[in-house]
Amino acid sequence: MPTDRRLGARAEVVRGTLEMLALTLLSDGPMHGWGLSLKLRELSRDVFDVNQGSLYPALQAMLRRGWIRAEWRASENNRRARYYSITAHGRDQLGMEIEEWNRTSAAVNRVIRYALSGA
Amino acid sequence: MAWYHEVAASFAALIGRRRQDAEMKEEINFHLEMEARRNVASGMSTSDAQRRARRDFGGVERHKDDVRDERGAGRLFDAWSDVRFAIRSLRQRPGLTMAATLTLALGIGATSAVFGVVKHVLLTPLPYENPDRVVAVWSAWKGFDQTWLSYDEWEGWKARVPAFSDIALYTDGAVTLDGDAPERLRAVNLHATMFSILGAPPERGRAFTAEEDRPGGPNVAILSHELWERRFGADPSVIGRRIQISGSATTVVGIMPAGFQMPLDYTLGERTDIYLPLGLDAQTAGSVPGPAFPKGGASHGFYGVARLAPNATPAAANAQLRTLVAELEQFGYMANVNFHAFVVPIDEQITGRVRPVLLVVFGAVVLVLIIACANVAGLLLVRGETRRRELAVRVALGAGASRLARLLITESAVLAALGGTMGIALATITVRLLRANAPAGLPRLTEVSVDWSVLMFALVVAALTALATGMLPLVHATHLAPAGELREGGRGATSGRARLRWRQLLVAVEIALAVVLVAGAGLMIRTVRNLLTIDPGFRSDGVLTMRVSTPSLWYPDSTRVVAFWDDVQRRVSALPGVKHAAAVRLLPLATEMGDWGLVIQGYTPPPNRGAPGDWQIVTPGYFETLGLTIREGRALNAGDDMHAPLAMVVNRAFEEQYFAGRRALGGRVRVGGSDTLHVYTIVGVVDDVHHNALVGTVKPQFYATLAQFAVAPGSTRRSMSLVVKTDGDAKALLMEVRATVRAVDPRLAVSEVRTMRDIVDAAIGGQRFAMETLGVFGVVALLLSAIGIFGIVSQVVASRFHELGIRAALGATPNDLMAIGLRSGLQQATSGLVAGIVAALLLTRVLHSLLHGVTATDPLTFVAVVVVTGLVAIVASVAPARRAARIDPNAALRVD
Repeated sequence: MPTDRRLGARAEVVRGTLEMLALTLLSDGPMHGWGLSLKLRELSRDVFDVNQGSLYPALQAMLRRGWIRAEWRASENNRRARYYSITAHGRDQLGMEIEEWNRTSAAVNRVIRYALSGA
Repeated sequence: MAWYHEVAASFAALIGRRRQDAEMKEEINFHLEMEARRNVASGMSTSDAQRRARRDFGGVERHKDDVRDERGAGRLFDAWSDVRFAIRSLRQRPGLTMAATLTLALGIGATSAVFGVVKHVLLTPLPYENPDRVVAVWSAWKGFDQTWLSYDEWEGWKARVPAFSDIALYTDGAVTLDGDAPERLRAVNLHATMFSILGAPPERGRAFTAEEDRPGGPNVAILSHELWERRFGADPSVIGRRIQISGSATTVVGIMPAGFQMPLDYTLGERTDIYLPLGLDAQTAGSVPGPAFPKGGASHGFYGVARLAPNATPAAANAQLRTLVAELEQFGYMANVNFHAFVVPIDEQITGRVRPVLLVVFGAVVLVLIIACANVAGLLLVRGETRRRELAVRVALGAGASRLARLLITESAVLAALGGTMGIALATITVRLLRANAPAGLPRLTEVSVDWSVLMFALVVAALTALATGMLPLVHATHLAPAGELREGGRGATSGRARLRWRQLLVAVEIALAVVLVAGAGLMIRTVRNLLTIDPGFRSDGVLTMRVSTPSLWYPDSTRVVAFWDDVQRRVSALPGVKHAAAVRLLPLATEMGDWGLVIQGYTPPPNRGAPGDWQIVTPGYFETLGLTIREGRALNAGDDMHAPLAMVVNRAFEEQYFAGRRALGGRVRVGGSDTLHVYTIVGVVDDVHHNALVGTVKPQFYATLAQFAVAPGSTRRSMSLVVKTDGDAKALLMEVRATVRAVDPRLAVSEVRTMRDIVDAAIGGQRFAMETLGVFGVVALLLSAIGIFGIVSQVVASRFHELGIRAALGATPNDLMAIGLRSGLQQATSGLVAGIVAALLLTRVLHSLLHGVTATDPLTFVAVVVVTGLVAIVASVAPARRAARIDPNAALRVD
């Protein structure tokens, strides 16, 4: 994928996390892009406010992989908005990623705790 | 990863690009608007809120690009834009594009059509189960390379050849399906086990039982699928019903699957309509019961088919047969005639005769394809010349070698795609034409069609051509040095030479391959001419033939059969435009003839050998109708009826073999066994008629009238061919002749309507087919080479424009200048010719089995090829050479 190549390794980690969080939010029900962006900012207390626009390439990539699907619907204020919902394939993916995340963060926490206690 | 999502998304992206862009814009606008609204709600001014929303979003256009990239069609987009670029640049040179496309279409089309034929005829398995386990079983002895089995041999091989798991016999013939529109059907009488040996059970109903396959068994029949559809409307209830076959009520017990054919059907190019039990036992077949053999000879009249035992090979079967035959010869069966028995794998049996023809044609078409590719590569190379500056600019602007390569390959690919599409259309037409004009004697050709495998083949060929034609221009383009190209003003003398050499090499290859094809065509033309000059012993022009049978139901005795033919012959002869009419048992070159044992006064056959003679039964007038030459004595005539003394006419081979040093006229010959009292007197000798094949030795043959043969040996021919000699187009009289036969007896069915010309043509069908295809391919190859030479000479003249101008200024005459052009053309042709002759001398050997009366390295043919190719080279060089002659020294020197 051209983009994946252009993104640096660090950016890829951010993108991966962004995708996982978006999937998590979508597993509660369909949302449009702005709604997702807002929810992410609120829940993460603006940690993920770096660049609202980068959500859209991430969504497009997940669409392409078949993790989510999109459809146009009326929004809460009766405007046409593009709503994303998670697919079965996306749920499987999310399960794997959460598991992976838990393993990684647990490992990271262990290392940090060890380093701190050792200091 | 679910790759199909990716692929589907890519295509969706490619197709719905505009819509997706609009949606993306709407989505992002929605986001910005909602964000701005939120900002307003938190107390900002409208304009601040909007500015803030945009800033938080990040670069809108950059994110849009990222989204586009994520659609996953990036590479497809690139390819698509390459294709569009290629199409645009091809459209700029419509002439070249057209020429290249047509050339490729020709190459791809011809190759695909021939592949379709080869695949169908040689590669599609026969409609039998494990056809590689099925073999045809034959006997052979002196004068008979491959002939039928006797009933004793069937019994013997069945019991004593362990390599056979089973063996069965069949014979072919004809029956009449009675009814309102009586129809003559091709019938096969077969052993009940035949279908299980072939591994082809009926699709409906059942095969015959052993109980049905015995003398005096019930009248039962199995229909072909085609007959079932044609005559019974595919009604399944026909099974168990009784139909009238040649006057007998016959119960239908089964229907064969569609497309099923007996091995013989492929050879004859005709389909069996109906299957009947053989219904013989040793006694009725006149053989020794059980696996025993008689001393002496036997009557051979059955086709044999066997299935090999598990793990047995055809070679093993042949070895076992050899041992058995040696033993039998000791015992005295078919002794001293070099008798042997052998098997032929069934697919070789069916397609063995056409395999060399088809392989030759396929090889030829591949050569044409290579020539077409060389031609297109040459064209693209020329195009590369005119594009060097354009490409140099691209390189200077940073296009890498791989980018350039992609552009050029895409161009070839677009050409190949265009050519391939047209080629498939061409192949479809060609295959249709081939089917309509299928030379008789080429089995399975009428079933050929352009199916998916042919399409796949065309696709692969097109892809290969794209690579082949794109490679050379590519090699050149990647050697571009932009600085040099641009400074030079695009006229590089040295590199121009190098490129010319490449083109010269291409054209030399074209000419060489053309020479191979033309040489092949020349050899086949000589072969066909030689075959046509063989005197078959009869005159075929203006002779119409058709088969008519007189079933015993309506013609219970020979008197009535003879009366019927008298009547038909009299009425047909009276038709305007008809010179002669007669009836004959078997048409020459149409059906092989068997022999009859004779006892010839004054001739003692070698021990354990009889005096066989092929028996031809005719009505008076046959000799005139087919234009046979009487050497001595007289022809058979109306006086030779059943009350007159028995008279026969013999051929020269008969006279030479049985009357060596004696006078044949007046000789006495007894036909049939010793119990026959009737003896024929030879009243005439005719020139040999090539009955079984156009080439090969003619066997002793005798002619007797239908009326007298019914007296001795008492055999009435129920199926005869009517032959009508007209004084013009034989086919023109078809309706009248048919109407006349119908007027004599409306119940009788007429079949196998052919002209004698058709029959003779079919006899040399394979060679003629090879000749025609090689001829067409040779002409195409010459044309393509001519175009190549034309291009070379044009380029030589153009690249030496200055030099020629100087020469003109220094006093060279137009003739001198033209000679320079012509010389370059001939030089070009010569190198190709030399290479071609060498290649042809090596390659024409593959034609060996097809040639007749000419060797594969026939000097006359090769001289002719050199002359023809040289002439083509000169003609192709003349026009561009003329341009050299017309050079105006002023104009030539003023350029720059």
